[in-house]
Amino acid sequence: MSAPDTERDASDAERELLRDTVAGLLAGHCTPERVAAAARTGWDADLWQVAQSTGLTLAGTPEEAGGSGGDLAAAADIAVAAGAAAAPVPLAETLAAGMLLARTGLAVPSGPLTLAVAPARGAVLRRVPYGRVATTVAAGPGQDGDWLAVIARPAGARPGRNLAGEPRDEVEPGPDAEVHHVPAGTAEYARRLARLFRALLIAGAAQRALDLTVTYAREREQFGRPLARFPTVQQELARMAGEVALIVAATQAAVADHQAAMAGHQAAAGVVPAVLAAKAQASHGAGIVAAIAHQLHGAIGTTQEHRLRLTTTRLWSWRDEDGTEAECRAELGRAALAAARGAGGTVGTLGTVGTGGTVGTGGLWPWLSGSL
Amino acid sequence: MRSGTLLPTVRPLPPTAAELRSQVRGFLAGERAAGRFVPACDAWLSGWDESFSRRLAARGWVGMTIPPEYGGPGRSPLERYVVVEELLAAGAPVAAHWVSDRQIGPNLLRYGSESLKQRYLPPIARGECYFAIGLSEPDAGSDLAAVRTAAVRADGGWIVSGVKIWTSGAHRAHALIALVRTGPPDGRQRHVGLSQLLIELGQPGVTVRPIISMTGEHHFNEVVFDGVFVPDAQVVGTIGDGWAQVISELAYERSGPERLLSTFVLLDTLAGELASRAADPGAAGEVGRVVARLWACRQMSLAVAGALADGEAPEIAAALVKDVGTRLESEIIEVARMLTAAEPDPDAAGIAGLLAHAVLHAPGFTLRGGTNEILRGIVARGLALR
Repeated sequence: MSAPDTERDASDAERELLRDTVAGLLAGHCTPERVAAAARTGWDADLWQVAQSTGLTLAGTPEEAGGSGGDLAAAADIAVAAGAAAAPVPLAETLAAGMLLARTGLAVPSGPLTLAVAPARGAVLRRVPYGRVATTVAAGPGQDGDWLAVIARPAGARPGRNLAGEPRDEVEPGPDAEVHHVPAGTAEYARRLARLFRALLIAGAAQRALDLTVTYAREREQFGRPLARFPTVQQELARMAGEVALIVAATQAAVADHQAAMAGHQAAAGVVPAVLAAKAQASHGAGIVAAIAHQLHGAIGTTQEHRLRLTTTRLWSWRDEDGTEAECRAELGRAALAAARGAGGTVGTLGTVGTGGTVGTGGLWPWLSGSL
Repeated sequence: MRSGTLLPTVRPLPPTAAELRSQVRGFLAGERAAGRFVPACDAWLSGWDESFSRRLAARGWVGMTIPPEYGGPGRSPLERYVVVEELLAAGAPVAAHWVSDRQIGPNLLRYGSESLKQRYLPPIARGECYFAIGLSEPDAGSDLAAVRTAAVRADGGWIVSGVKIWTSGAHRAHALIALVRTGPPDGRQRHVGLSQLLIELGQPGVTVRPIISMTGEHHFNEVVFDGVFVPDAQVVGTIGDGWAQVISELAYERSGPERLLSTFVLLDTLAGELASRAADPGAAGEVGRVVARLWACRQMSLAVAGALADGEAPEIAAALVKDVGTRLESEIIEVARMLTAAEPDPDAAGIAGLLAHAVLHAPGFTLRGGTNEILRGIVARGLALR
């Protein structure tokens, strides 16, 4: 085995260990009873304390910026685990906001954080995840660069919630909000981080939905045999697995892409925007995964008592948050067409392709494969 | 569920990938400019062009993983992946050497005797030796273990009798790799007693009959063996291990880029048409929908390719790639239909001709290489029985 392989195996094993540790920790705390109870109060403060004291909440943020170090991949694994556990704390939000602050060179406040992309400076921020308990980091485009506001936990946040009962609150930037002038592109970067971490949460929840469904199909018997033995049920399980695998593949690739872009290894311009594609796929798949999970669970899965809803209500909420698939697809499609236009200058001069007989632009593939 | 069950961890492509891509793109641009090929959908099945195969081989892009001692360039499986996806995305005519390159080379490297390697690998790497696959039979389709083509022991070899069907390219290939019964099944263990033989096609006792597709094209054949003598030297691997050998090949066959890119030329052409006319926001969204899915499918396929290259056998993930990818290939056709004014026209150039070809080929996407229903059964049993 060559040296790079050995290194990779070692880091894979380390990552695997972190994943298992985090998943075990969250699973221990995120019992269905506690997750359901948190929906009534908004969050699980005890769980937050545990997560914070073990350094999970600021992984991916360098130690010199007040974080616990580690790379984006580590933070991503934690977000996936939080999604799988339906953890009722702003773990993914804090990880994303911490990374944004660290990138802009600003101090990272202690305690829970959340991220908001604002339409205009000073505007009321709507449906901010965990806005009532977290310090809101808001960013938006301005003239001559972007702005970024750090809004300490506002006393007057107007509570709202999503389908899972997670806080989605209205936050008003008060007079004591710190506002910073930051480089142009920061707001876009914030949007990308929010999108990426939302997609990672979906990836975790989708895997959990599949786990719950496979287990149920194996244990539940009808007509004298387990559901998993029925070919029609098998077809649906496999279709669900395909959607989950697509989400996992897309989010893994988006993490790798984002990490490479952060490290300056590759220009993000001109190739497929991976985070956008990942969220488009995750949002789309979330609905399919939730639907099949419920169909195979039967009526019991639709009850308040059953833990499946803790996962599916999150899938139904998260798919619309930080960009629905419609929004992401439109933006992605425009980028794809621009790539095709860039390479296929001759197409326009020949009239429509249908009558002109031109085949292939040659522009879409380099864009899609990320290799110009 | 372990995170790696559904999908292996993605490995980065080798550092040579970018350089290889640009070389292949340069070559393809030259071929197109010289009018040597027109991009087509599903050209890995229907684009039979032996001189193209030889030109590709001259650049070291056929049988890429064959080591130098057998006349190949000895590149890695992931380097082969990069070259193959470039060729497929361009709709290049790669059908002639397709089976030799994807299946026979790796199979012989893994299971072949020294004499089989010496005999077949060098001409495969030169792009001169083409193979067909003899798995399905008239009464053994999805139920592959039901094969009845029999090989009976004879002095120094085997006497083969039986019928293989859906053998792409058998009318032009030099040889066929057949799954045959060399011994009886062991009660309900029907996978016992199967073996792989390499059978030369141009010999007495072998009859190749055409099966014309609904496109009017001739890819498929029925191959009849009537007491054909196959010497022991043509046995691949071990007598009786045929099933295990075939199954290990299937992960490659199911998860490659050809399971998602068969209609890419249509999507690329559609994007060109849409880009040249006034923007329609709905159209961009539809393009974005299939692009997101295609991009995600490719990441899945790459993850499986990386695992295979490292010697893993990600059977569930490989089956998922084919199920998801081949359905997407058809979905691209539906999107193209909705967004172009052109009607499918088998006699037209451009998007109308591409549509006609793709629509008629589409039913095959989810049949070949194991029907998607069978694959989904494999996935479900794999998940539920762990």
